[in-house]
Amino acid sequence: MSQSDASKGHIALVGAGPGDPDLLTLRAVARLGAADVVLYDDLGSAGALAHAREEAELISVGKRAGRHAPKQAEVSRLMVAYAALGKRVVRLKSGDPTIFSRADEEICAAHEAGFSVEIVPGVTTATAAAAHLGAALTKRLVARRVQFVTAHEVTGHLPDDLDLGALADPLATTCVFMGKATFPALAEKLFAHGLSVETPAAVVESLGTERTAVIKGTVETVAARLKENPPEGACMILYGAALADVCRA
Amino acid sequence: MPRFRYFPVSFDVAAKTVLVVGDGEAALQKLRLLARTQARLVLCATAPTPTLLAFVTEQGIRHAASEPTADLVREAALLFVATGDPVRDRWLAALARKFGVPVNVVDRTELCDFATPAIVDRAPLSIAIATDGHAPVLAQLVRAKIEALLPPAFGRLGALAESVRDTVLDSLPDNAARRRFWRALFNGRAAVAALAGEVERARVIALKSLSDAQTSPVRSGKVFLVGAGPGAEDLLTLRAHRVLLEADVIVHDALVPEALVAMGRRDATRIAVGKRKGNHTMHQEEIDLLLVSLAREGRQVVRLKAGDPMVFGRAGEEIAALRAAGIDHEVVPGVSATFAAAAEAAIPLTLRGVASHLVLATGHAAGGAEPDGWEALAASGATVAVHMGRSVAANVSARLIAAGLASSTPVAAIENAGRDGRRLFAGTLADLPALAARSEVDGPVLILIGPAVAHGDLTNAEPFRPSQCAVSAAA
Repeated sequence: MSQSDASKGHIALVGAGPGDPDLLTLRAVARLGAADVVLYDDLGSAGALAHAREEAELISVGKRAGRHAPKQAEVSRLMVAYAALGKRVVRLKSGDPTIFSRADEEICAAHEAGFSVEIVPGVTTATAAAAHLGAALTKRLVARRVQFVTAHEVTGHLPDDLDLGALADPLATTCVFMGKATFPALAEKLFAHGLSVETPAAVVESLGTERTAVIKGTVETVAARLKENPPEGACMILYGAALADVCRA
Repeated sequence: MPRFRYFPVSFDVAAKTVLVVGDGEAALQKLRLLARTQARLVLCATAPTPTLLAFVTEQGIRHAASEPTADLVREAALLFVATGDPVRDRWLAALARKFGVPVNVVDRTELCDFATPAIVDRAPLSIAIATDGHAPVLAQLVRAKIEALLPPAFGRLGALAESVRDTVLDSLPDNAARRRFWRALFNGRAAVAALAGEVERARVIALKSLSDAQTSPVRSGKVFLVGAGPGAEDLLTLRAHRVLLEADVIVHDALVPEALVAMGRRDATRIAVGKRKGNHTMHQEEIDLLLVSLAREGRQVVRLKAGDPMVFGRAGEEIAALRAAGIDHEVVPGVSATFAAAAEAAIPLTLRGVASHLVLATGHAAGGAEPDGWEALAASGATVAVHMGRSVAANVSARLIAAGLASSTPVAAIENAGRDGRRLFAGTLADLPALAARSEVDGPVLILIGPAVAHGDLTNAEPFRPSQCAVSAAA
């Protein structure tokens, strides 16, 4: 590898948005169009990958539950190795790269190898789910705050460092990422911390695909439904008083 | 902002004389371009090259083997000079100017009245690409990209429109109705047929949908609540970009930069309902009514909001009003300012073992009458993003410390995240109040608070308190 090759290398962590290719930003499209290599997770990337050049190398590093996938360290290694060859690398991340995406490990790896990293923000799945429901996440005097939390540890269990008091905050709308398996357990803990069982809740499944489905109800009914009959697709779970209008219907 | 030296217009040359003077390759290039028009072309060439002569013969272009006469120049609608001889160039340009005939002299900008852009030819659709004469090669690159984007058959859509244009004008006198018809036409089955070369079938489908449009009552328009993202034009989503281009009316907040509002159609109506720090120019109820009445007039409305419309955008009230009035509406999510701010400094908003959740809050609750519940914001392992930042910085800091957050908690503040003029500040929660006093920080500021902030790239961050040397430099 010559010095000049490496100096041409470029790494961009690009937010792919919630899965609907129409919700890519123009900047994300431009980075994809200029990329030599695209590292992507499996979930709903096909539409975004259509913006890559024909000659670009498209590499799946997907992390789908229950399937063997390269470890995080391996993804970081690949990303840096291609950049060192002078390639323009796009690491495509679903939603936005700075939240629940372990981007920090990739950024650290890039910095250690002497590469700066460009981050292209994306539409987070949480607000896209809100758009799909037609429910604003904040509402005057009702929901002053929005909070994003993941209910899925690497182990597949509910993380044990959740601040349940904050998650039971009646003045917030809470968006739970990757929570379909653990939400019933989370709901029990929230009730114990004072959250009303009647709190409106909605689940948006497989957002941005043709199979998008919605479950509406209360935290209690939604948790029960997820336990009895867990949906197949990825789920975004929203709860809080701001959802009252859409969940009542 | 640079201004254009050349203003692009389309010149009607049908059945008019366009005169080209020159013997060689440059004259041939101009003729090749002009041969695609409906102009009557005349070449004056005393010693044409064989290729040039072959071209004019093949194209049936009138050839005069002499210098152009004064009469010929006077009759011309446009004159192209490509003699390559400085003296003749200047003489011909002067002659043209004397008769008021616009003239273009190849490679002599100082003698030109107009320039010829690079052209993508999808007749009747033409796309001109100009660089104010600075970078013709760039224009060619752009041209190649656009050509790749539009299949050669694309012009058939223009031909289809042309074939039904008069009927449409007669049948649909209302401007908005016509626009709806055209939009449906270019996105519908007629367009598919036209692109496939089935010209007659395309025309039949178009006329059928025209008569449908005539008999159906005035349909209500549709309102799109669109997230404009943090402000940079290229952080719009593809969908937001498209609905913005199609909107009849753009109703926007003051926080949305002018460049984004300008991306809409030239003839779209733009209504600023701007809210800027306590300066509410239109009440929310008035905005709700405005959206409903515009849609009832049958207009396609884009309600453009900074960031994402579902977060602190009061979209809920607008949606409720539209729902109550039975108006078709759709929400187009956008990139929230929080994420643009985090991207600027590579700050992980959540981080395993450090921050398991992210809270978005506004600074307004710090001063206003609304219930706040800052205890919940001081949650362990949270990253707190405070929108509408600088003026409330002191209050936010005091309330969070009172609620139990360590005064040493890392904080970053990003002014103008995701748009021009971005600035990054960093320090601790105890330092944050200094930011409130910095009146030169007058763009939108987003404040990120929490242990994960320290994992960002803050090497180029300024401290919250202006440094001594900055103060003395300003003095």
